[in-house]
Amino acid sequence: MKAPRREALRIVGAISSTCAFPFAANELYAQHAGPHGESPAPPPARTQPEFFTAEEFALVSRMADLIIPATSTPGALAAGVPMYIDMVVSRNQEAQRLFRTSIAAFDLSCRARRGKPFLELDEAAQIEVLTPLCEAADAEAPSAQGRAGRKPEVALFKAVKSMTADGYYTSKAGLIDELGYSGNTVMAEFPVCTHEH
Amino acid sequence: MAADKVYDVVVVGAGASGGTLAAHLARAGVDVCVIEGGPAINTRTDFNTHALPYQFENRAIPTMKPGKPGFDSERSRGVGGKSLTWNAVAWRFSERDFKGRTYEGAGEDWPFHYADLAPYYSAIEREVGVCGNRDGLEDLPDGEFLPPVPMKCTDVAVMKGAAKLGVKVIHVRKATLSRPMKGRPACHFCGNCMAGCDVVAKYNSADVHLKPALKTGKLTIRPNAIVREVTVSNENRVTGVKYIDRESRREGEVRACVVVVSCACVQSVALLQMSKSRLYPDGLGNSSGHLGKHFIPHFTGGVQCFLGEFVGKTSVNDEGYLDHAYIPSFMHNRKRDYARSFGVQFNYQNRRAVGWARMVKGFGASYKQAVKERYPAFLTFAPYGEMLPGKSHVDLDPNVKDSYGLPRARRHVFYSENDIKIFKDMTKWSVEILKAAGADILAVGEEPRTNHELGGARMGADPKTSVVNQWCQSHDVKNLFVVDGAVFPSASEKNPTHTMMALAARTAERIAGELKRRSL
Repeated sequence: MKAPRREALRIVGAISSTCAFPFAANELYAQHAGPHGESPAPPPARTQPEFFTAEEFALVSRMADLIIPATSTPGALAAGVPMYIDMVVSRNQEAQRLFRTSIAAFDLSCRARRGKPFLELDEAAQIEVLTPLCEAADAEAPSAQGRAGRKPEVALFKAVKSMTADGYYTSKAGLIDELGYSGNTVMAEFPVCTHEH
Repeated sequence: MAADKVYDVVVVGAGASGGTLAAHLARAGVDVCVIEGGPAINTRTDFNTHALPYQFENRAIPTMKPGKPGFDSERSRGVGGKSLTWNAVAWRFSERDFKGRTYEGAGEDWPFHYADLAPYYSAIEREVGVCGNRDGLEDLPDGEFLPPVPMKCTDVAVMKGAAKLGVKVIHVRKATLSRPMKGRPACHFCGNCMAGCDVVAKYNSADVHLKPALKTGKLTIRPNAIVREVTVSNENRVTGVKYIDRESRREGEVRACVVVVSCACVQSVALLQMSKSRLYPDGLGNSSGHLGKHFIPHFTGGVQCFLGEFVGKTSVNDEGYLDHAYIPSFMHNRKRDYARSFGVQFNYQNRRAVGWARMVKGFGASYKQAVKERYPAFLTFAPYGEMLPGKSHVDLDPNVKDSYGLPRARRHVFYSENDIKIFKDMTKWSVEILKAAGADILAVGEEPRTNHELGGARMGADPKTSVVNQWCQSHDVKNLFVVDGAVFPSASEKNPTHTMMALAARTAERIAGELKRRSL
């Protein structure tokens, strides 16, 4: 924790406070992609990425696949995560800058160290490339989440992982099939806990 | 609405405060008009109560269903206001909360005692239904409760951990029905209370207070009218309100013998600040110069964790009605180097949102497994601290106007040394309690964040240092009242809505009586 400041000033401005809980677990990147309270347009059936080039999209897709692979349950690809990431990035200029520059840096460093682009490496080599990036991202303070890591490759990994986790665990495959979400039902009574704790 | 009609009372804002007040006035035979910036909302059909994130492209569940207006700006939420989307936590304040300066020499005393408000707390509990357990705590008075809802398994684990440190965990108290009441069904535990309750098991002012009060024939509801000014005559009497129609943008006016401003703390203060006149060039009822000052929002910390004994367990449906338990203020009897205290809301996470997954370390199949194992064990913990009146204040932005051409209200928040000490201590206690409960800490909030907004038009006995008296009546203008969180002279650490509603009931009784005596 930072040293306490004797006095800190915040101008909170005109942000509406609807008494939402603090520190909520539902802050996803994409939730900021539209004005609060706006009724959604029906989800268009995206077939082509809007922001990413074909090469960039292939790279982001492969990274998402490695971050949440298919196991006995569907993984990021089957859950449509790459197109979700494209949707988030296409609506966020800061993310666009981050992806464009960090993908270029990632590609350069991959070619320099491994002699070929990431997508041409075999899976074991790809995991070797991502492992130190993941370790660096994990070592950052939780408060740094969402912020750019110091190295562009780390920032790229962190952004792709965060958006993959967001997109996957809010998808039907992730929430229902993988995690077993069973709420949103009608219960006559809330059960009394009978466990030994 | 006839243009020449003069109501007994016009109430600005149809939320918990305005809705309660208007219903009580109408029932007392007072001719009352509630004017609300937002549209009428059908709670059964207009909210996305039972939606899941994957039904929306950006995975954010919007408040309103497609094509249904409401909650589109701070000024136009809907008839029912924030009571439509609140979490319904309903505490009584204690004598210590009302008399902070007397007890601890810090904060401001309210100009009345707990005993003065207690009958109105009871009246609200009987009217709207509050479930809870009678715990016999000095600092959290019991009320007339419906049976409590059982705690979640994870609450019991936290309770056992807290007990090791001598800290008590109690059932939460909510204005949500645990038993059917007055034609409203009991809660069905779908777990999405703050998306708007589609069966009105959770209290909202539109369905529980305003709709039944329409039967009196004394209540008029004027939705879609954004009040821009409370008008005052040269004889120092308020005469009504001027509004902008939300849809046509035309200007209109409602006239009344009494004006009550109840449009949510900051907006109430801002409306008075916007209401400039020859008599009140610095804002209506602001001869003291204290309007906008003493803004005292709650501030929160936060810890996210995984409870050890639930890691790897099968996921169960424990959405419930969000939080089922609470840690009431316990520091007032302990040695500490600050004034006032904090309470803790926890286990309110909605399991259809998994924003924490990105913080779990690693990637690949092992990462996927780690998230799955932790899913039933995830728990959020949020202590709420009491801000002392200090430099925090509300004013109007001289440069920025909203889409209605009205100046935006600004919140200026300063954390004092005492506030920061509370924040650090409540964060420390939160981590210790969770560790004692066997939790693996995922993240700890490093900065306080503001929450429930209070203060800005505080009540007090001295017209030189307060805006309204103990009846929520302007010291300056006899027939002007302010009834909501804005009048709180000190905040307590407790969720404030029940106190606002009790205050509204008390003020309604006063206004009705004064009107009968023709002394307004």
